[in-house]
Amino acid sequence: MGTVRPPDHAAAITGVGVVSPLGSSFAEVADSLLAGRSGIREIASARGAREARQFAGPVAVIPVPHSCPPAGFAAFDRLEQLCLSPAATALADAGLAGAVAAERIGLVLGVGAEQLKTWELDFLAGGTRVFEPRRDEALVQRMARRLGIAGPAVTVAAACASSGYALALGRAWLAAGLVDACLVGGCDILSPTAIAAFYNLRALSRRSDDPLKASRPFDRERDGFVMAEGGAFLVLEPASAARRPGGRVYGELAGVGMSSDAHHMVTPCTDPAQAARAITLALADAGVEPADVDYVNAHAAGTPVGDVAEAGAIRRAFGAATDTLPVSSTKSMSGHLVSGAAAFEAVACLAAIERQAVPPTVNLDDIDPACALDHVPHTARPHRVRVAASNSFGFGGANLCLVIRQAA
Amino acid sequence: MHTLPFEPSVRPACVLERHAVVEVPLSEIQALRDAPAPAGAPSLPPRFLRHCDEQTVVGVRAVLEALASQADPPATLARDGVIAAPRLAGRITAAQTLAQVATAGGVAVSPHVVPQCSLHALASAVSVALGMHGLNLGTSGGPEALSEGLFAALSLVPTAGCDRIWLVLTEWDEEPALDAAGRPKNDPLCRGVALALAPCTVAQPAGITFALRPGAERVAAAPGSETAVAGGSGLAAFAAALALCTASGVIASWSHVCPWGTEIRIAAPPSVAGATSPPILREAA
Repeated sequence: MGTVRPPDHAAAITGVGVVSPLGSSFAEVADSLLAGRSGIREIASARGAREARQFAGPVAVIPVPHSCPPAGFAAFDRLEQLCLSPAATALADAGLAGAVAAERIGLVLGVGAEQLKTWELDFLAGGTRVFEPRRDEALVQRMARRLGIAGPAVTVAAACASSGYALALGRAWLAAGLVDACLVGGCDILSPTAIAAFYNLRALSRRSDDPLKASRPFDRERDGFVMAEGGAFLVLEPASAARRPGGRVYGELAGVGMSSDAHHMVTPCTDPAQAARAITLALADAGVEPADVDYVNAHAAGTPVGDVAEAGAIRRAFGAATDTLPVSSTKSMSGHLVSGAAAFEAVACLAAIERQAVPPTVNLDDIDPACALDHVPHTARPHRVRVAASNSFGFGGANLCLVIRQAA
Repeated sequence: MHTLPFEPSVRPACVLERHAVVEVPLSEIQALRDAPAPAGAPSLPPRFLRHCDEQTVVGVRAVLEALASQADPPATLARDGVIAAPRLAGRITAAQTLAQVATAGGVAVSPHVVPQCSLHALASAVSVALGMHGLNLGTSGGPEALSEGLFAALSLVPTAGCDRIWLVLTEWDEEPALDAAGRPKNDPLCRGVALALAPCTVAQPAGITFALRPGAERVAAAPGSETAVAGGSGLAAFAAALALCTASGVIASWSHVCPWGTEIRIAAPPSVAGATSPPILREAA
């Protein structure tokens, strides 16, 4: 199972847009990641919040896209703003803003709970949409219209792996010749209800006395993840067609592996077999061997069960190569962007390729022996990075691995 | 009934192996939640659906019906994947949750809200319930769920490496009207359609096929020469078209144009029905 196609179906990444707790440009995010900077901070407590002090990875300012009148942009809800801003940036970065053949450009939006978030935002603003029998236009269709995209526009969701599946679907469309270019990515916002739900599930860190230290994947003292918000979008084009004069190719989406645990709707699976299979499928799809991979950006959110299972999956998939394979979790700095996490972490892999350095796992003071890997604690490690693998796992057992490589 | 030539040049993306359509009033979903499996279907873990959204209950039932109601069920589902396209799922639970949070605060938020009412939930429920280890993915969630679900599935079936991908589409025929506490005031029908789609391995396969035609324009037809599918557009029309296309002795094709112009066509090829010019059915405007 998983995609099986020759390596020449790699998709070139020709545009990047990101809005995150670590910055709102590729350069800012790369700088922050390699400096080991944290975007986690105390946030204003929502009414009815479970803790007096709340912390998360918020986005301070959402840049207004050049293509959008500021007053119009201000009228959009936060979810739409956090999608539209990086999406417009990515499209412009690829030189496709206002493209003539707009019907040959697709859009895949990875967002896991658009309706829940939209109803909640409206309710918190005094609205009653959630009680009303209405069928409002979906965000992906509004985005396509505002960005001038006239090709296929589809939303996908696989919980915390949502935006990674957006990359996978966009690449499949390119390979099938359904589009000539595809804007792919995802986004999420900090929502009081989601924070409460994850808190009540005991999935969130409760280290409210020291927010900067709360996100600590693979550490023995980890106690859950830290929610964050933001969005990341990439433009994919056929590798063969991405050599426009003056254009930039950040890297290539070379392989995708997908699987499901089929274990439980809520609790994570402790058996790493299916997660390992997703990694193995992605490597095969990219036509690379485990020893060819120079860096793994782990999903590792900082949950007690999930981090151990992922470490097991990495060991199983990479075998003997694991001992010298640098692994880090950038969620230690960004927090968990949930639906937007996989696309953001694809950007982190591109940063590692551009800077030839592995971003660190901050707060990794005491490595959990059950998570033994070649970790990169605290500070970035200069390292040749030509091929990176990025894992993403979601509620309901969705497993995804993306292989991203340096452009040929 | 208008006839158009069958178009072998439109390469089928996949073959329909089996399918089922289920329609259940909201008032009867609780009973289905407690006993979802029809006779002959795989049994689910006890109380598996107790926290699930109503559309998930109906969607899972549709998959079980498809497995139970037709001969020769697959020996294993382990190599299957699932893509689900619910439309505006989770609103009843969301309304009740928000109403409770307004008075009781965050403590009132069930930990099941996110995993059971998000867009991935229906696909995950099918995957978990039936042990499918291929991809599981939610898509759309909005008014264009039929277009988005079909397009996503047809573009992934050929390359996802699964034996088959189950596409599960669900919707309310009319959206539930809710009071201030989130309690339904009407009794709408919840519809679920489950399709088992397998990759095409031959150029002209036997059986019902699904094909994508990018950038297609609607073919002009002589006035009054087309048959509009009963039930209007959307999932109801799709279910009606499926019934016609798969009925014994009937040849038909059905086309649906996505908002971005791609045409999705279902066809029973002439080799199956013994004719050369299948009639085309269109969604009612």
